[in-house]
Amino acid sequence: MAEPAYTVASDSETTGEEKTYTLPEIAIGIDIGTSQCSIAVWNGSRVELLKNTRNQKIMRSYVTFKDDIPSGGVSSQLSHEGELLSGATVFNMKRLIGRVDTDPVVHASKNLPFLVQTLDIGVRPFIAALVNNMWRSTTPEEVLAIFLVELRALAEAQLKRPIRNVVLTIPVSFSRFQLTRIERACAMAGLHVLRLMPEPTAVALLYAQHQQQASHENMGSGSEKIALIFNMGAGYCDVAVTATAGGVSQIKALARSTIGGEDLLQNMMRHLLPDSENIFKSHGVKEIESMALLRVATQDAIHRLSSDNNVQVDVDLGNGVKISKVVDREEFEEVNRSVFEKCESLIIQCLQDARVEVEDVNDVIIVGGCSYIPRVKNLVTNICKVKELYKGMNPLEAAVCGAAVEGAVASGINDPFGNLDLLTIQATPLAIGIRADGNNFVPVIPRNTTMPARKELVFTTVHDNQTEALILVYEGEGNKAEENHLLGYFKIMGIPAAPKGVPEINVCMDIDAANVLRVLAGVVMPGSRQPAVPVMEVRMPTVEDGHGWCAEALNRNYGATLDLVTIQKKA
Amino acid sequence: MRFYPGLTITPTDHRFCVPTATNPVSLRPIIGPIKCPNRVTFSFKKPRATLNGAAATEDKPATAVADLSFYELLGISESGSLMEIKQAYKQLARKYHPDVSPPGRLEEYTKRFIRVQEAYETLSDPTRRAMYDNDMARGVHFAFNARRSYHHRDQVVEHKSEWKSRWQSQLSELKRRSRSKSKDEGKNMSWAARMRQQRNESSDES
Repeated sequence: MAEPAYTVASDSETTGEEKTYTLPEIAIGIDIGTSQCSIAVWNGSRVELLKNTRNQKIMRSYVTFKDDIPSGGVSSQLSHEGELLSGATVFNMKRLIGRVDTDPVVHASKNLPFLVQTLDIGVRPFIAALVNNMWRSTTPEEVLAIFLVELRALAEAQLKRPIRNVVLTIPVSFSRFQLTRIERACAMAGLHVLRLMPEPTAVALLYAQHQQQASHENMGSGSEKIALIFNMGAGYCDVAVTATAGGVSQIKALARSTIGGEDLLQNMMRHLLPDSENIFKSHGVKEIESMALLRVATQDAIHRLSSDNNVQVDVDLGNGVKISKVVDREEFEEVNRSVFEKCESLIIQCLQDARVEVEDVNDVIIVGGCSYIPRVKNLVTNICKVKELYKGMNPLEAAVCGAAVEGAVASGINDPFGNLDLLTIQATPLAIGIRADGNNFVPVIPRNTTMPARKELVFTTVHDNQTEALILVYEGEGNKAEENHLLGYFKIMGIPAAPKGVPEINVCMDIDAANVLRVLAGVVMPGSRQPAVPVMEVRMPTVEDGHGWCAEALNRNYGATLDLVTIQKKA
Repeated sequence: MRFYPGLTITPTDHRFCVPTATNPVSLRPIIGPIKCPNRVTFSFKKPRATLNGAAATEDKPATAVADLSFYELLGISESGSLMEIKQAYKQLARKYHPDVSPPGRLEEYTKRFIRVQEAYETLSDPTRRAMYDNDMARGVHFAFNARRSYHHRDQVVEHKSEWKSRWQSQLSELKRRSRSKSKDEGKNMSWAARMRQQRNESSDES
C-alpha cells in the first residue's frame, strides 16, 4: 500500500482543482461514527463495504499520536486496548466537533483518557494527546481529517482510482455550524462533500431500495410503506419516520438527541466507581491509565450484558483501587434509566411530528451499535407495538450502505435494473429562526420542513423611531434564543423613522437544493410599494469559532435597542 | 405569529415584486392571480442569475404553473383520494425534485418542487383541504402565491386534538417518570398500567 499522506492537503476550505475523469466518478459513502467507521461504494450492481488490510469492514474511530506521526484506527491496530492507557489516543471526536466549551457534551467528555480542557467562556475546548510526557494539542477537525485520509487511501488502493467525492453520514442533531466543521475536515483530507446525510435518512434510502427491489420481484403495487428508523450509536440517538413508495423516500419527521452508548458507558463507570470523576480530575499519567482501565472493563461488561444476564467485573485500577463486582442486566438498565426514557420520548415525539399512528408503521428498523442492547430493542418494539423488527439490514452497516447508494444516485449513475431509481425528500432536522419578542427564538423555518424550502415572517420594531434592527439567526429547538446555536447576525440600517410597530421587517429564509441557507431581510413602510432600504442577503452560517460569546457581546453592547417583535395578528 | 397572505415567492421578478393591486385581504373574491399587496417579497432569483433576459424565458413554464389549482398541479381530480394525492406527489417529486434536475435548471426545479410540496401539504391535510375547497367553491381563485394562509401548520385548527393529546400525555408521563426517580407508589405497576389508571382518573373527573 502506498505511504499514506498525513499532511493536510490544503488549508483552504475548498481544495484546488483536480484532474477530470472520463468516467463519472461514483462518490463513496463514509460513515464516521463516534466509535466506529466504515466506507462503502456502489460497485455497479450492489453496495460493497471496503475492508482494511486487516480484513475489517468496521474500523475503530481513534487516532494515536506517537512521536510526530499520528495514525488512525484504519491503518494501524492498537496492539491492545491498553494503548488507550497512555493518553496518546484520541477518540469520540464526532461528539466534540463544532462544540464550544460551555456545551454539556464537551463537559461530559472531560473524563476521557486524554485531555479535554474547558474555560467555560464559549470558545473551542482544548484537546490534547499525551506524547512523550507532553500534551500535544489537536482539534476534532484534525483528528477526523487524519482518519479520512486513511479511509481515502484505503479506498484508492482498492478501487485503483483517485477518490474525491464523498457522501458522509451525520447525526440529525448536528447544527449547521457543525456541518461546516465536517466539511472542513473533509477539505483537509482532500475530499469533496457531495452530500451530508443524516444517518437515519441514509438508512431510509436503503430501505427504499429494498422496497423497490421487492416490488420489482413481486410485480406488486408498490403502495406506500411507513418505516420508523431508530439509530443509536456511541454518541448520538436519532429517529426518523419515512413514507416510501416507488423508490421515493419521504422523510416525514426526524428526532434527535446527543445521548448514546457513551452515556451508558459513563453512567456505568460512575456506578462501578462512584467517585471516579474526582479521582481522575488531575489528569496525570497514572489517572489516565486508571481511567482507561475502568473504561475498557466497563465497556467489556456492557457488551457481555447483551447476551449474559450478569457479568463479573474485575479490574485493578492501581493506587490500591480495585473493583470486583457482579453486575446484572437489571442493574445496568436501572443505572441508565434516564437514557432509555429519553430514547422512548424521542420515538414518541417523532411519530407525533410525522402525524403517524403506531398502527400505521409497516416496518421498524433498529441500527447502530446500541441496537444489540436488549433493553433498546425492547423499548422500540414496545412503543411501536411490534413483535418483529425489520430484517435484512446489518445494524452496523446500514448507514454506510445508504450513503454509498446516495453516492451513486447523486453521481448520476444509472442502473439497468432500476436499483438506483431512488430519491430522498429530506426534512429540516432543526428549526431555524431569529431572536425576537424579547429573548425568544422565533422559528421562520420550523423543524421537519421539507427541503428545499423558503419561508418568510414579518417582524416590526419595538421602539419609536427605531432606525436599526439586529437580526440574530439561530438554529435549534429551544424557546429562548440562547438555548440554540447561533448561525450568524447582521444589522438592518436605515429604517425610516416611524412609531414602533409600523415598519415591516420581512425576514425570509431559503434553503436551496444544495442545503445552503440564505437569510434575507428587507424593510417596507405601509403605503409604500418599494423596499425602504436595499435588501440584505446573508449566507449562513457566518459565525466562526467562539460563537458562544458573540450573542452575549451583542447583548452587552446593544441591549434591547435593536430588538424586533413578531407582528401580532390583528383581531 | 402571523403570515401575510400577500407574501409571495414570485417567479418572474427578481428580488422584489412591485405590487399592482392593494388588496391585502385575501378573501376578497377576485378572479385571477392576486399580486402581492404592499409586501416585500423575495423571489428565487439570485441577482447573478437575472443579469440578462434569459431568465424571463426560463421562467415562463413556472408562471403557467402558478395559475394552476392545487388539483391541476398534482394532476388529480377534485374528488381525488388521499392515496391518489400521495401517489401524485411522489411521482411529481421524481420529476421535479432538484436532485433530478438537469444541470442549469436547478432553480426552476426547486421552485416547481416547492409548489408541488405546498399543494401536497394542503391537500393531504383534511382540514386544510376543506378550507381550500371551500374557497375554490366560492370562486376565490388565488394565485399560487396568495395561498399562504393554508399552509402554516400553527394556524390550522388541530382537528386531531384528541389524538395529539394522547401523545402528549405519553410524553408528559415520560417526563414525569424521569423526574420522580424515587421509589414511589407506581413502582410495581407497568407503565401501561399507570397510563390506564391515569386515564381512568381523568375520565372520572370529567
